[in-house]
Amino acid sequence: MDLEIRDLHVQVEEKVILKGVNLTVNKGEVHALMGPNGSGKSTLANVLMGNPFYQVMQGDVLYKGEDLLAMAPDERARKGLFIAFQYPVAIPGVTMASFLRTAVSARRGYSKELIPVGEFQKILRAKIEELKMDPAITGRYINEGFSGGEKKRAEILQMALLEPEIAIMDETDSGLDIDSVKIVADGVNRMFDAAKGQMGILVITHYSRVLHYIKPDYVHVIFDGRLVVSGGAELAEELERSGYEGIKSQVDVIHSEVAASGAVRRAGKVFWVVH
Amino acid sequence: MISREAVEAISARTGEPVWMREQRLAAWGVYESLPLPDPTQEEWRRTDISGLRLDALRALVDGTGPVAAALPPRAAALAGGEERAGLLVQRDGRTVQHVLDEAAQRQGVLFLDLDQAVRQAPDLVREHFLSVIRPDELKFRALHAALRTGGTFLYVPPGVEVTLPLVTSTWLNTPGAGLFPHTLLVAGEGSKVTFLDVFGSDGMSRQTVVSNAAELILRDGAQVRYVAFQDWGANVWEFGLIRARLGRDAALHSLIVAFGGSLVKTDIESKLEGPGSQSEMLGLYFGDGTQHFDFHTLQEHLAPHTLSDLLYKGAVKDRARTVFAGLIRVHPGGQKTNAFQSNRNLILNTGAKSDSIPKLEIMANDLRCTHGSATSRLNDEHLFYLMSRGLTRRQAVQMVVDGFFAEVFDRVPLPRLGEQMQQEIGRKIAEL
Repeated sequence: MDLEIRDLHVQVEEKVILKGVNLTVNKGEVHALMGPNGSGKSTLANVLMGNPFYQVMQGDVLYKGEDLLAMAPDERARKGLFIAFQYPVAIPGVTMASFLRTAVSARRGYSKELIPVGEFQKILRAKIEELKMDPAITGRYINEGFSGGEKKRAEILQMALLEPEIAIMDETDSGLDIDSVKIVADGVNRMFDAAKGQMGILVITHYSRVLHYIKPDYVHVIFDGRLVVSGGAELAEELERSGYEGIKSQVDVIHSEVAASGAVRRAGKVFWVVH
Repeated sequence: MISREAVEAISARTGEPVWMREQRLAAWGVYESLPLPDPTQEEWRRTDISGLRLDALRALVDGTGPVAAALPPRAAALAGGEERAGLLVQRDGRTVQHVLDEAAQRQGVLFLDLDQAVRQAPDLVREHFLSVIRPDELKFRALHAALRTGGTFLYVPPGVEVTLPLVTSTWLNTPGAGLFPHTLLVAGEGSKVTFLDVFGSDGMSRQTVVSNAAELILRDGAQVRYVAFQDWGANVWEFGLIRARLGRDAALHSLIVAFGGSLVKTDIESKLEGPGSQSEMLGLYFGDGTQHFDFHTLQEHLAPHTLSDLLYKGAVKDRARTVFAGLIRVHPGGQKTNAFQSNRNLILNTGAKSDSIPKLEIMANDLRCTHGSATSRLNDEHLFYLMSRGLTRRQAVQMVVDGFFAEVFDRVPLPRLGEQMQQEIGRKIAEL
């Protein structure tokens, strides 16, 4: 197993956000994680990347058999974990070109020198073209003054350059118009195909729209810090029809039953395990 | 030791004219009569010089060793890789290397060791030397005027443009010495020149004092870019003054870069005397260890339609401390003036400290003036973002700090100097 999350509990400041998440993502698989706002989707993404703002209270994450939570964010990245952030930060004064060259060098194992400029430029130009981006972006400061769409595409550009083994896309589709969603999805699909089974993707999204373009093998629904439903691609379609309300009512039923009896319960598609 | 006899010996050695000898001796008298700056005075309140031992300083009467001896590699590196029209290298106040492009020579540019200039162009030197700075302003200025050795005289005749930069590299070699380099730059009407004043030394085994001074005289319409770049070693204490006078429509672009020394107190002043004159004042400093940097800047508007635009950015780490105190003074004659001042500091760890004190003295009523200061810490979100792409923490910090300084780099069209600054910044961060 390439990424195995076991019983993960996470809090931010004093607030518990993840209340026992279990999920396994392997290379060659596309998973979708869906859920309403505030359910813990972004927390999961950030904690997997090692954002120091989030505290792991309980649980384990194994990445290629190693303890992921013991690694610093840069080590995770160099070992092939990637996250496309929902809200990437702007860093004044640092050009995209110098940042990307340093990042690509780190991922490719250059420890003293950086990847030769010529070689890097070639790779960069190709990826920028694939994602139909303006080449002038490389001279701009990281995310500074970028439109919402430019930021998201810049995240996917980084994903393309860093060739991750497990990539998490945190609401990359939100705020994108339909043409941009297609371009981004095409780019991701191309990466996935080119990786020939050596890449796994976790697509975190609020809406099922992006899943028409990036076809998931598995769909998971997160509610209030727990994965409550897992299924195939058809689950996304069901959610598209019924919204999260249908699931929420099932969750509410179980919640009261669990509170009463403290056992494992199922209501329709929803299951609940008390740890 | 420094003494009246040492002043006389230096004067005799350089074979300078009587007026300069008398000027030196008068300055020595002033030095002896003036007390050290009063620590309760606002300007000296934040910089403790109680550990200063001026009496113990060694006077550089004879220079040190054979002048042809090779400079340490770092001294050569400090001279920079910038393409240039001329280079003057001095060690302990004595010239060890001097070249000036033939083209510049033909244009009548004088680029000389100041001791040499006193003999070769006595009238020009006499007219301008100590015309902008007075020895009785401060004990350190008097000491400088009395014991000055070497230094640079740069004269650009009216209408002459020197395209490539001229560089002076001042290397301090003797522990315990007092070094008093002087830069006298006279840019004639409508002339244009770039001058890099580079200073450095290795670490010193004991307290070594530099009291340097630069007089920048810009005639009407002159355009000057002046860069002072210092990388003193440990135990060097610097008391410096850079003061410019600008004539009508003259434009000065200055950049002060400070990396080295144990205690550095530098004043940087622009006097906008001619209508329409403009002064861009940039500063970049990085203190680490127990370094103490103190910059006092003055944007003095004496004429109408003048512009000053100051941006000083500093990083501070370990237990270092920096002080920035900037004054904008607009005289009654300074109507229709634009004066901007901004100081930004980046604190890299707890224990390091930056003070920022902006001040205004406005005696005119029709002007535009802004000033601001901000001190921030390393942003954890920035570091996390960069590290999430595989950069080590050190690489991430370096990138954020370079980014912080980019606003200054981007305004100085000297790429090699930019690289040199980045390298020095990298070296300081490596020890984080």
